[in-house]
Amino acid sequence: MNWNLSQNLTSNSYIMWSELVKNMKFLMAYPAVFVFWTIFPIFWFIPFILQGQAFVGGLQSPEFAKLAGTPNFVPFVILGGILNSYVLTSLYGVGESIRREAYRGTLDYLLSSPCNKAFILIGKALSESISSTMYAITQLVVCILFFGIEITLGVIMPILLIIILLILGLYGIALMLAAISLRYKQAHDLAHTLENIFYVFSPVRYPVQSLPSWAQMVSTILPLTYALIAVRSLMLLKYNITAVYYEILVLFIIDVVAIFLGFYLFNWMEERTKKSGTISHY
Amino acid sequence: MQGFQKVSCPVGFSWANLKAELRAIWDSNVKVWKIELAYPLSFLRQCVQPLVMLLPFLLYGLVLVGGRYSEALQGLLGTLNPVDVVTYIFTGYMVMGFIGTAIWGMGFSIRREQWFGTLESIYVTPTSRLSLVLGMALHSTMHQSISVTIEFLVIYAVFGLALNVQGILPALTIFALMMFALYGFGVLISALALFLKEGWIVAEGLYSILMILSPVAYPLAVLPNVARQASGVFPTGAALIGMRSFLMEGYPPQGVGTIFLHLLALDAAWILFGILVFYLVDRYIRRRGSLGKY
Repeated sequence: MNWNLSQNLTSNSYIMWSELVKNMKFLMAYPAVFVFWTIFPIFWFIPFILQGQAFVGGLQSPEFAKLAGTPNFVPFVILGGILNSYVLTSLYGVGESIRREAYRGTLDYLLSSPCNKAFILIGKALSESISSTMYAITQLVVCILFFGIEITLGVIMPILLIIILLILGLYGIALMLAAISLRYKQAHDLAHTLENIFYVFSPVRYPVQSLPSWAQMVSTILPLTYALIAVRSLMLLKYNITAVYYEILVLFIIDVVAIFLGFYLFNWMEERTKKSGTISHY
Repeated sequence: MQGFQKVSCPVGFSWANLKAELRAIWDSNVKVWKIELAYPLSFLRQCVQPLVMLLPFLLYGLVLVGGRYSEALQGLLGTLNPVDVVTYIFTGYMVMGFIGTAIWGMGFSIRREQWFGTLESIYVTPTSRLSLVLGMALHSTMHQSISVTIEFLVIYAVFGLALNVQGILPALTIFALMMFALYGFGVLISALALFLKEGWIVAEGLYSILMILSPVAYPLAVLPNVARQASGVFPTGAALIGMRSFLMEGYPPQGVGTIFLHLLALDAAWILFGILVFYLVDRYIRRRGSLGKY
């Protein structure tokens, strides 16, 4: 029994490792894609910085401070942009990974392999996490050099913890998306819709308080909301980690629920798809 | 030759050929509508998408100034009163949607045919390849107009817009001139997509750069000098300044003649440049035999 458990663990780790290596090879085969995801998210928030400069005639807004707690809208927007890129990579990277396997003609082989498919998805999620973090670190370095973002060593570990919790929650959601694409194929529009929900209802570009109350309710179920509030509290408002315990706890709860639901939905959809014989359908 | 029927196609600069090409453009447009309407939910999402992308600009702007009117913007634009940020952003973002039309709608028309597996069939028809791209341009412009109408209705109902109704007609004329230049730009992008295959990176990159260089949510005065000069190469800068001067109350009058001349020059330059690059790339990939390659 113990031997079986250890053998299972080894083979599942090997599956995750192989998936991770495969995805990394894909990434390295297209260096332009790597450069794109490193550089262009910066281009997406530059208009917001210029807009702020034009609207308030400087780089600080007292009105903005009333809601955001800080008058410095530039680091606020930059941090929002960087963390939001995790949403993009998780939704399109992991959420649509099943669909991509179908395009490449490898989905049938993957699903007929004698392993737990969840570990394939964990491997995909791990590779996406690594690449997303590489993009985020590069963007942060660029922003430290060119936009005067400040980061102290003391907050790095708490921020890493928050990012890991964010990634886990996002991958739970991405698993649900992967499950839907397994059964209903064209999940691209759903991924776009989810991206829009995150973009509008989370405090990516503006504080949540600026939204109407019904929209603020929506924002409370999104992991990005808590991650952004916590990271900004630590980096911009210089709060101690004890001040963001609530956000970390809620993130943890969202993670548990999202991952449990994600795996359950994926296994259920996999069974249904196999029974219906529509795996290779487009 | 027994069993084959000779089909004569109109060629050259003739009325018959023009009619045939116009029909090809129309049919190409109808085809895309049919495909798009076959997925109603996807169509609905695409129509609402520009509104979703506009909202963060609006909300962010409102939070920054703590109301609707910006005095700093008044100083930069030289308007009589503080500028209504909602109307300013709406007029800018409305135009930005049509840049997306040129880049994504037209630019990827040929690539899309390749995905559908119909590119080779289209290439052997006696129709000009540009008709396909222009058909997509027509479709994208109509599609984007629906999105802008939705944007307008929602923003008008929720926030209210202070638009000068008398200025709509001249603003539309400026808009039309801008669109011609953008069509030339779209033809160029479609040539790049044909050549680079996975041209989405170039398209997204150009879109992002155009977004920065166009006065969508801020006047060009906040850009560094080099970027300000570079924005003159694209039609959006001149068009937005001209359109706002007609549409927004209290906006300083611009040299309308200069704007029209600027846009006419850009129209000629972008259309000629786009068509030239398209024909060169078209000839190059057919000679290399890389048309069907992914």
